[in-house]
Amino acid sequence: MSLLLDILSTAAILFIVSCGLLLIFGVMKIINFAHGGFLTLGGYAPLLVTQWGWSPWAGGAVAFVIGIGCGALVERFIVRPLHSRPLDAILATWGLGIVIGQLITLAFGRGVQFAASPLSGTVHLFGTEYSVYRLALIGMSLAVAAAIAGVLNGTRLGLITRAVTMNETLARGLGVNSARVRLSTFAFGAGLACLAGALITPLSSVDPNMGVPWLTNAFMLAMISGTSLLSLGVACLLLGGAQVLVSVFGSPVLGALTIVVLGALVLRIRPGGFARG
Amino acid sequence: MNTNKWTRRAVAAAASFAALQALAANPIKIGVPVGLSGANSVVAPSVVQAAELAVEEINAKGGVLGRMLELEVADDASGAAGAQKAFDSLIFQKKVNVLISMETSAARNAGLPIVTRGKTPYIYTSFYEGRSCNKYMFVNAWVPDQQVAPIVDYFMKTNKAKNFFLVGSDYAFGRGMLEFTKAYIGKKGGKVVGEEYLPMDGSDWTAVINKLKTAKPDAIITSTAGGAPNVTLTKQLRAAGITLPYGNLAVDEGTAKDMGADAEGIVISGSYLTNIDSPKNKAFMAAMQKKFGDKLKTPNDLSVPQYEAVYLYKAAVEKAGSTDAEKVVTALATVKTEGPRGTIQMNKQRHAPLTMYLGQVQKDGGIKLLETFKDVDPGAQCPNLK
Repeated sequence: MSLLLDILSTAAILFIVSCGLLLIFGVMKIINFAHGGFLTLGGYAPLLVTQWGWSPWAGGAVAFVIGIGCGALVERFIVRPLHSRPLDAILATWGLGIVIGQLITLAFGRGVQFAASPLSGTVHLFGTEYSVYRLALIGMSLAVAAAIAGVLNGTRLGLITRAVTMNETLARGLGVNSARVRLSTFAFGAGLACLAGALITPLSSVDPNMGVPWLTNAFMLAMISGTSLLSLGVACLLLGGAQVLVSVFGSPVLGALTIVVLGALVLRIRPGGFARG
Repeated sequence: MNTNKWTRRAVAAAASFAALQALAANPIKIGVPVGLSGANSVVAPSVVQAAELAVEEINAKGGVLGRMLELEVADDASGAAGAQKAFDSLIFQKKVNVLISMETSAARNAGLPIVTRGKTPYIYTSFYEGRSCNKYMFVNAWVPDQQVAPIVDYFMKTNKAKNFFLVGSDYAFGRGMLEFTKAYIGKKGGKVVGEEYLPMDGSDWTAVINKLKTAKPDAIITSTAGGAPNVTLTKQLRAAGITLPYGNLAVDEGTAKDMGADAEGIVISGSYLTNIDSPKNKAFMAAMQKKFGDKLKTPNDLSVPQYEAVYLYKAAVEKAGSTDAEKVVTALATVKTEGPRGTIQMNKQRHAPLTMYLGQVQKDGGIKLLETFKDVDPGAQCPNLK
């Protein structure tokens, strides 16, 4: 039973970490390699919240706001000028990720920091003790998914974002201001990355490199999910589940490879990934 | 005639003045390749501070054989590639007389061939998994033979533990320490019911904790890379409600204190604790505080051996009468120094018998001393080196 909970909570964490990357990829067709940097940036928000004496629950919200602000600045000054050169834009985001890491090191030092966790302890579930926070993460990932789906399907901005995702040139021909969509998408995606960073700190350490290991897995998951959030959810469940199973029945060292290897296999067999059509 | 005599005297004076200048400007260079970036970057500043204090103290008393000591610090990025660059630049470009440093096992193993090529004495000041042998290297920090036994014995005696679960990071230190631990537990009649590793930068211990719960051990012993892995593992263990006796072979006093409530109960074993009650340690702590003030990085089991190693080198050079590598290497095997950790002498196959302290992290972050083991032998580390 705890194995099932492990799979669900791992999938939840992977989803929260990857959804921001997927959104940016869907609209702008570039992979934001600064994603790891934004995760780290968000991870330091609970630290600030603890220092300011606010409630630990504010960590996620503060992270989201910081992410949106920084994402908007990055899009305006780094990504937009490179609009017509997507490969250069990707390289620029890679460099940005390194810069963010170093800026954080300058501001907070290299050491591992500690932030208060909003939830702690275990709950007795189905015969075993399970971490309350991991269970809460399952709920949080569903809430994040619902929120994104709500914005995409229920708002005008979401509508034109979906239009730009499908075909940017055609959307512009119809009068959609695609530059505004790109700005808001990148900002939103960065905000989600920072939120994810804040949400994983109770289970991980806060240090300048905390976001980097997540980048590879998030990248693979985004690649095989095409542009659909639902495919991302399915991918996280399947590949995350595979990672947990390999780690438990094989070894965690192999488990760390699972997502990347399976992702590569999926793309080889079905270049469109899990996306339908 | 008079002019010639005075000219000659002037020239002689100038020459000897120049020679004195040259002598004073001929410092003994100590190379310190250390992880200023990478995995060791958290602890490297404390190591550099320890070396700086030792050099300052020795220079204030006239240096070594009349020559001043000078530090050359290079970043080895805590890994093999960086170590190659750092060692190369220190030995062949800066032409240091000796290398004294603490590094990851990966960095040390990459640097040793360069040390042999450059014929430079090397004092390794980091605790490690043991059995690393090189004609030019001496070690003044602990090896598993000294550190593991106190923890295992304590759990078996106090917690009546029979079944142990081992967790580590997947690299030389993690695997080496746990291999020794497994053998020692077996020798003492215990059983290892699980042994799991995660890559050094891995932060998701879910599967490991899952296996741990299934195996139902009496105690856990971990040997992860320092810094982040210690924190993530401890946090996740506590989040999963695991309160078993927990011995950590690789956490330092500082990190354990910072971890707060999560670290309570962790048993640690090392050759240095800041509250060692000896005049030399008190004097050392006071001197560090005076020199660095609020920039002081807490002295720890990785930085204090560095301080003592500089003094050991001084003793070796004075005994050998020169900085010649072969003579210094011969002298290093016999000289001793009185440091914050006690009397240090690297006379057991290039390793040193050390007094080991067993401590337990308290709720307030302090370390309670459980037991002290005097002069624990390092065992047969390099039987083939003469």
